[in-house]
Amino acid sequence: MNDKNNKGTSRRGFVQKLVGGVAVASAAVTTSVLSSPETASESVKGKTKSYGMLIDTRKCIGCHTCSVACKAEFDVPLGVTRSWVEYTEKGVYPNVSRHFLPRLCNHCRHPQCVDVCPTGATYKRKQDGIVVVDSGLCIGCKYCVQACPYDARFLNPVTGVADKCDFCIHRVSKGLVPSCVNSCIGGARIFGDISDPTSEISRMLATNPTTVLRPGKGTEPNVYYIGADHSDEHENNRGWYDVRVITHRTPEERR
Amino acid sequence: MHELNWGLPVIAYLFLAGVGAGAVTVSGSVLLRKGGFGASRFAVARCGALIGPLPVMLGTFLIVFELGQPFRALNLFKLINLSPMSIGSWLLGVFIVLSLLYALTYLPPSAGPGDRLSPIRRGLAWVCVPFGIGVALYTGVMLGAMPARPFWNSPILAALFVLSALSSGVACIILLGVFFRRKSSDPTIRADYENSSYMLVTSDAMLLGGELLVVFLFLMFGHLTIGDVRYAMAAILPGGQLAGMFWGLVVLIGLLIPFFIELFQVVPKLIYGREFRTVVALEVAVPIAILIGGFALRYVIVIAGQITAPSAL
Repeated sequence: MNDKNNKGTSRRGFVQKLVGGVAVASAAVTTSVLSSPETASESVKGKTKSYGMLIDTRKCIGCHTCSVACKAEFDVPLGVTRSWVEYTEKGVYPNVSRHFLPRLCNHCRHPQCVDVCPTGATYKRKQDGIVVVDSGLCIGCKYCVQACPYDARFLNPVTGVADKCDFCIHRVSKGLVPSCVNSCIGGARIFGDISDPTSEISRMLATNPTTVLRPGKGTEPNVYYIGADHSDEHENNRGWYDVRVITHRTPEERR
Repeated sequence: MHELNWGLPVIAYLFLAGVGAGAVTVSGSVLLRKGGFGASRFAVARCGALIGPLPVMLGTFLIVFELGQPFRALNLFKLINLSPMSIGSWLLGVFIVLSLLYALTYLPPSAGPGDRLSPIRRGLAWVCVPFGIGVALYTGVMLGAMPARPFWNSPILAALFVLSALSSGVACIILLGVFFRRKSSDPTIRADYENSSYMLVTSDAMLLGGELLVVFLFLMFGHLTIGDVRYAMAAILPGGQLAGMFWGLVVLIGLLIPFFIELFQVVPKLIYGREFRTVVALEVAVPIAILIGGFALRYVIVIAGQITAPSAL
């Protein structure tokens, strides 16, 4: 495996574990002895991360490696997807274009799925901003599936509970990047801590024009795009050009 | 075709819970009110109280089994949060218990106005009315809470559901009255029956009028706005996928025709003080049309919300 091991994250993770173990009994005095002052102060303040992803669609070749890597990582059942790539074709010959739009859960700052969940099964983790589903609490009512403006959620046909991208929480917590980021052959995906101004993603966000999907819904997504084509089939009655969106999912229509 | 995450069981639940909650709410209000219904007050309240819990429980059964894992539904009662579904589950749970107790007070053979159970019955009616309205209301709030579903995302949807629930409840009571209360040779009971029918038909006409107004506002809001809601509303406007069902079943059969029939029935007495006469055919046909309209309303709204989406990515 060609994992990009984020050294900073893993060291901090290690220190946090160490601190966590000791701090059960005592507080800041002990921790400052055990670790360097800088990391200790971060840990003591309980510095939280805010994970996000930036997808440079100019580097995406629409190969679906991310979708396949995701399927393999989680054994996602047939017919449903946590991560997928949409093709947007538009124009009338000879003026035509095709754009690729990789999609996943946006891990929104204001996730509607969390607001509507009646059992508290879906929540946004305080420590890193990842929106997760507690399969033990979820009752499969599909309210969150309805509420997500990005259609990122689905009912897992095997487990019968709501499911979606979780930013590969099992990998990220060990300092690795999510599987789709790791496998992207174009290097189109950048994953990191948006709250850390020195992270690669923060630098890229600061120096590039970026967009998010459906900004008007007020969800404040944490998945950003560079060069994304936001064209939608709704535009077909609007201009001279045709737009066709191929979602590579069931159902085939984007919602 | 879009995926329908909420299908017939959910639609049926919305309708059945509305009918049941409406019937119990109307029953409680009739029992508690002074005057108007006169001596038939108890008989009318009894009809609503006895039928009400059944559709609510049937509907609840449908959604619980729609989950696929019925026992998981218990997780809903581990906490309460601000999700409309969470609040709704608690309301529904409490309402089922209360409405069953309320129905039980009508069951003893000695049950009648001013009997031993009367204070308990009135107390239960006092709590059944707000809980019934809560059960009818939360379903509309639940659908209306999501910006991702522009067709539903309107505060007026909840008002529409409550009015529809109450009018279906009245329809249910009228229908039951035809079968269980109409047959009587005693002229006093007949007169009471005619009087209670007049009261019920008048209230139903008022509720249907209110519902027509809300439907009009719902459509106007969709028509006058631009963007997501307008695209979504196209599903029920002429030319849309659900237009036939909406205008035919919901508006015409479920609202306009019953509304005008009831208006023609009650206006002579209401304005000119003439005698009100019940017609068996209408007493059966109008409530059935209202119930068909109530189901079609839930059907059209639940489906239209799911086949439409925000317009811009």
